[in-house]
Amino acid sequence: MLTSVFVCVVSLALFWMAAFTLWWQMHAWRTPETLAGTRFEPPNGEGTLSFSLLVPARHEQAVLEHTVTRLLESTHGRFEILVIVGHDDPETAEVAGKVAAAAPGRVRVIVDTHGKKNKPKALNTALPHCTGEVVGVFDAEDQVHPELLTHVDHAFRATGADVVQGGVQLINFHSSWYSLRNCLEYFFWFRSRLHLHAEKGFIPLGGNTVFVRTEVLREAGGWDPECLAEDCDLGVRLSSRGKRVVVAYDSEMVTREETPGTLMSLLKQRTRWNQGFLQVYRKKDWRQLPTVAQRLLARYTLMTPFFQAFTGLIIPLNIAIALFLDVPAGVAVVTFLPAVTMLVTFMFEIVGLHDFGTQYGLRVRFVHYLKLILGGPFYQLMLAGAAVRAVWREQRGRSDWELTRHVGAHLAREDVTS
Amino acid sequence: MTATLPTAPAVPAAPLPAPTRLRPVLRLRRSRPDLLVCGGLLAAILLVQGWNITGFPALSDDEGTYLAQAWAVQEGKGLAHYTYWYDHPPLGWIQIALVTWIPAALSPDAMSVAPMRCAMLLVSAVSAVLVYVLGRRLGLQKWAAALATALFGLSPLAVVLQREIFLDNLAVMWILLAFCLAASPRRHLWHHFGAGLAAAVAVLSKETMLVILPALMLTMWRHSHRDTRKFAVTGAVTACGLIGLAYPLFAFLNHELFPGPGHVSLIDGITYQMSRPGSGFVLDEGSGAHGVLHSWLYYDRVLPLCGLAAAVVLVAAARWSRTGRALAGPAAAAVILALVALRPSGYLPAMYVIQVLPFLALALAGVAASVVGVLLRSRPGRGARWTVVRRSAVGMLAVTAAVLVVPRWYEGNRPALTVDANAPYRAAASWLGDRTNVADPGGTRVLADDAIWLDLVHAGYRPGTGAVWFYKADLDPAVTRTMPRGWRDVHYVVSSPTVRRDAVTLPLVKAALEHSRPVASFGEGEDRIEIRRVAETAR
Repeated sequence: MLTSVFVCVVSLALFWMAAFTLWWQMHAWRTPETLAGTRFEPPNGEGTLSFSLLVPARHEQAVLEHTVTRLLESTHGRFEILVIVGHDDPETAEVAGKVAAAAPGRVRVIVDTHGKKNKPKALNTALPHCTGEVVGVFDAEDQVHPELLTHVDHAFRATGADVVQGGVQLINFHSSWYSLRNCLEYFFWFRSRLHLHAEKGFIPLGGNTVFVRTEVLREAGGWDPECLAEDCDLGVRLSSRGKRVVVAYDSEMVTREETPGTLMSLLKQRTRWNQGFLQVYRKKDWRQLPTVAQRLLARYTLMTPFFQAFTGLIIPLNIAIALFLDVPAGVAVVTFLPAVTMLVTFMFEIVGLHDFGTQYGLRVRFVHYLKLILGGPFYQLMLAGAAVRAVWREQRGRSDWELTRHVGAHLAREDVTS
Repeated sequence: MTATLPTAPAVPAAPLPAPTRLRPVLRLRRSRPDLLVCGGLLAAILLVQGWNITGFPALSDDEGTYLAQAWAVQEGKGLAHYTYWYDHPPLGWIQIALVTWIPAALSPDAMSVAPMRCAMLLVSAVSAVLVYVLGRRLGLQKWAAALATALFGLSPLAVVLQREIFLDNLAVMWILLAFCLAASPRRHLWHHFGAGLAAAVAVLSKETMLVILPALMLTMWRHSHRDTRKFAVTGAVTACGLIGLAYPLFAFLNHELFPGPGHVSLIDGITYQMSRPGSGFVLDEGSGAHGVLHSWLYYDRVLPLCGLAAAVVLVAAARWSRTGRALAGPAAAAVILALVALRPSGYLPAMYVIQVLPFLALALAGVAASVVGVLLRSRPGRGARWTVVRRSAVGMLAVTAAVLVVPRWYEGNRPALTVDANAPYRAAASWLGDRTNVADPGGTRVLADDAIWLDLVHAGYRPGTGAVWFYKADLDPAVTRTMPRGWRDVHYVVSSPTVRRDAVTLPLVKAALEHSRPVASFGEGEDRIEIRRVAETAR
């Protein structure tokens, strides 16, 4: 009897968690109108805002030049690029100096002299030098569409937003089994879920392709230099102050990125994010959100990595209980509820992968669908590992920055597809 | 693709996709005329179906079966008071158990077939509203949707069959809900997902609903948007599949999925249903199926015959008629069910037609709407006189249809409202419950049909071994074991038409009938119910 009650409670809790996650994940496809609303509106007229684009680069000499060159192709007339390099990173500084010399007046190099370096400190270093009305952040390996600034400009003017978050998409789904899942995670996050957050007025922003009005950013004091997820933190702080955030995703207009090169570096990256989310949760800025629903969403979202990870671990355990312990058939059926929700999620992921292929003109083969399904449980395991690692590191007070290296896997792909 | 602008120079300019069409959303809940029309019809349907619901039609054996199993669910005796043998998925009578829970708790004696027919009024009411909503969502005008609802709820055939406690009525309610959700005007992902869930519940209520799932899919395909369709349809199929699989999963968890010695199994149940002796070709006079068809046409010819013709016309006209396309789903459902009924080898149960009634009604209303639409369509260059002529033609058609249909329906519905066909059953139940006739019900064994069984249980006979479903005495080893001396262990047989009909193939029941004599008889002729006592001397 006690086992039955326990199993039912756990199953129902898992079910609701999985169901909510699924509900939010599918936000963009709820109705055709919702889907249409997630795109950039076609811009009208000339852009009137000026942009300062920050590109923090640390040991990125391999990809930096390509990224800046591509940024310079932007069709928008009023922008400057601020490349931020470390004083202890001469290789990247050299590349940065080269591109700045090639485009005087457009590109400037800012040197970050902090002893211990991380992305928020680099961004804060550059903030006083920004002359544009809007600050945009890109990573050194980003592939930015030439029309993006024009669209963002229009989005600012048309909606009166304080922040515009553009889409970011990992593209190299063919590289490995985990990159496939990683790409799809991005797809669902930027294509769908972020729009829900924007609509609800609570949003953890992404790390790049994010544009903030300069005065709003300065008023907020820039980025939190101690936070491992400074992007998420900025979003939470701005939305807690009631700033209006607009998200737009267009497959043509997304910033293309690559997945981490090894499973270990993905694990490290995810650990950093999880730890960052945990830090943001503990900073309690989200408590200033005006409504209970928003605060609940914030609480749940910031803790999602952990829920998600443990869901993956407990579901098999639960099914094992149902199959091998002697519980009534009705209870056993209840234990399958979370698994059923997971299966529904799986099915939507398969369709998502198909849609991803269609949107980006990429050929998704049968083997990729197979990898998606078979990789699911292992990916959950990786997520669980990252979550456990994050909690452990946070407990031990270790909050150094584990950097993700980039090799440019998506660049070759980009040249093929565009 | 989501491109909204000319893209990177290397990419050839893709044609701009058409902007997503924002269509006015039909909000029936806020439309006063719709509410009035639907409410008025609902009141009429409830009046006609509810009046004399306990008296007509005669209690059916199947009603008794499902209600008794619902009673077993309520009493916590499992899915049936005899061994559940996967004859049908149990969700149907689980729902009956839920609907009748409160009345049964307030008045346990009311948990017998005639009073509990009132629960079916609720199902009929929901179904009728859903037919109206579906009609409107598929683009019918108010009057046409109302016509469909009236055909569905007031046809004498519908009145008779929807009153009875049949799983088909529940399944129809769920499949109508599924169609309504599939035709969601907002084209909402989770509405389509819900359509899949509702369809699964319909199938688990009555398995024959499986055959019209393609028609449901057709409706969903037509009513979803190109950009979100793959998510919507996948969601619906997944939902339907996963809920549907709960049934085999349930059997599996009970170790009853596969056949084996000493236990029932899902596979055995399906094998039985698939191998039931066929009732012949429906158009072959003298076949059992023809008799069933005849019994339907006895009550109403308009809905089955004209409705089917309308469905065929709509399916055939789907390519060039807008109404045909809009109603393709329901029309296809009607045609599929008709084709299934036309299998020469199949078994055609009397309640089969219940499943097709809403689709026939919608198809007929759709064709009527089409005809009226064609007649009233204004053409440039024609004068006001033409308008008058066309309007008169519509009026004439309406009057002719009414003159042809209303008197027949009046005649058809009159017995439903006035005849008391169940007096013999009540009298028999009351005789057996009277202690002056049977002093010790708890120690008495009665063979009876399923319709009266719950009355016997309420009168104090032991369920399952004291009050025995007559055919279980021969067919269920668990029951036969309790009667080592065969018919000699039986005290009474309630000989109803069903018992007399089936006794031919049941040796123990046949012997009990032969070795007994009537002690009380109620009703006349073929329909009489006798209470027969097995002779003391013979034991």
